[in-house]
Amino acid sequence: MVTSDSNQVAVDVNEVTFRYGNIRALDALSLEIPAGISFGLLGPNGAGKTTLIRLLVGLLKPKSGSVRVLEEAPSRRMANRVGYMPQLHSLYTELSVRQNVDFFAKINRLSDGAERARQVEETIRLIDLWSRRNDSVVKLSGGMRQRVSLACAIVHNPPLLLLDEPTVGLDPELRVTFWEHFANLNKQGVTIVVSSHTMDDAAHCDRLAFMRDGRVIAQGSPDELRSNTRQDTLEDAFLYYVRSGGEHAA
Amino acid sequence: MPFCIMCGVGVNMLPRYALTIAGRVIRQLIRDRRTIVLIVAVPMVVMTLIGLSFPEGIVLDRIAPALLATMVLFFSFLLTGISFLRERSQGTMERLMASPVSRPDVVLGYLLGFFLFALAQTLIILLFTIYVLDVNYSGDLWQIFVFQIIIIAGAVNLGIFISTFARNEFQMVQFIPLILFPQVFLCGVIWPVEQMPEYLQWIGRFLPLKYGVDGLRGIMLTGESLVDVGFELLVLVGFTVATSVLATLTLRRGVGG
Repeated sequence: MVTSDSNQVAVDVNEVTFRYGNIRALDALSLEIPAGISFGLLGPNGAGKTTLIRLLVGLLKPKSGSVRVLEEAPSRRMANRVGYMPQLHSLYTELSVRQNVDFFAKINRLSDGAERARQVEETIRLIDLWSRRNDSVVKLSGGMRQRVSLACAIVHNPPLLLLDEPTVGLDPELRVTFWEHFANLNKQGVTIVVSSHTMDDAAHCDRLAFMRDGRVIAQGSPDELRSNTRQDTLEDAFLYYVRSGGEHAA
Repeated sequence: MPFCIMCGVGVNMLPRYALTIAGRVIRQLIRDRRTIVLIVAVPMVVMTLIGLSFPEGIVLDRIAPALLATMVLFFSFLLTGISFLRERSQGTMERLMASPVSRPDVVLGYLLGFFLFALAQTLIILLFTIYVLDVNYSGDLWQIFVFQIIIIAGAVNLGIFISTFARNEFQMVQFIPLILFPQVFLCGVIWPVEQMPEYLQWIGRFLPLKYGVDGLRGIMLTGESLVDVGFELLVLVGFTVATSVLATLTLRRGVGG
């Protein structure tokens, strides 16, 4: 397993602004994510979470400010050190589970055939779909497709995972399974950045950034965010920050 | 790899992941049985209908080259354009563009992958036209096929390029008459180019199908060789290179941008 150094900063976003035409999706946003933790980007739809993840992956370029991922500017050269799971399932539905995972392993530079086969098998077993490995993705349920999509993002063992709403559409049991797996990856030093708009996901993260209108309105651990606002739930803490209107770091 | 030999490009010169992408495209289409059946059956049905509508063999003999060139261009363009658009609307293109894969990898990978199916489809159309519809021709069969290969390569790249401008399948369908009809009417498929107004002839000179039709007519009707139709061949190669460069430059990761 390729891991990142726990003393390092995995993601460094500095005063980044991004616009879609006249719409300002990110507004001078700054963020630092330490390596080896689960970091949640929490906020409503339109807060800028997906735009931020696309900037981190290198699919978008900031209009101003800088983005550093694993101490480099996002590029094709270092893309195999990042695992990206987009919001859509983004799978080849005619292909089998194994063919999908194997394809993403290949394009992420797992060129050794035997090593890749082992890695693909291990990953499919991890998402508990080994018995369905030869089934076309089109035959799978939404939750199963979500698992295959995750497998495609992690098969090459990247030190950084960028997951855009990975638990949407998952039943509670599967959601727990996903988070158990994320915790295991964290133990191996993998940094996980998860975007979500559900506070259920937020509780599983080591640190959180509450986002709204393209800005980070508060940052901290779930406990810090709750205690600083004297609220019982993260949902109430989020609403507290929204109503107070300022930026806060716990 | 056979495709590389045909393209005159060594494997080491190919972008790193083009063959991986081509392999995936081929596997994807092979697993879609209904599409495979349609790829084989539709050209035969269309050619049968055309054959039946021309009971006099001599007429069919004369229009066969233009029909073959048009069919090859149309089917190859359609197959690639729709499939490529689907890649973007499904979100898999975004995933590809976030990986170490480069734009030339994607375009070349698709070209190689779809080329195989377009090639099979073209071979079916050609053999069906000659052996089932009993069309007479003068030149060598292999030279006719090689000339068609060049038309396929250009049409596949054109499909990739044009799909960039469509955000959904409905928009892509609107591009089909826009791409096809001017070529059919201005390139001598239906009536001779010489009988059209000068300005229409001038427009026709910029359309690839004109060179496809002229070249195939040269080989099939007057028995010319590939060397004799070298100019038409060269223009079509130029068109293929130009569309592949344009497809690479305009490649977008998703339907939204």
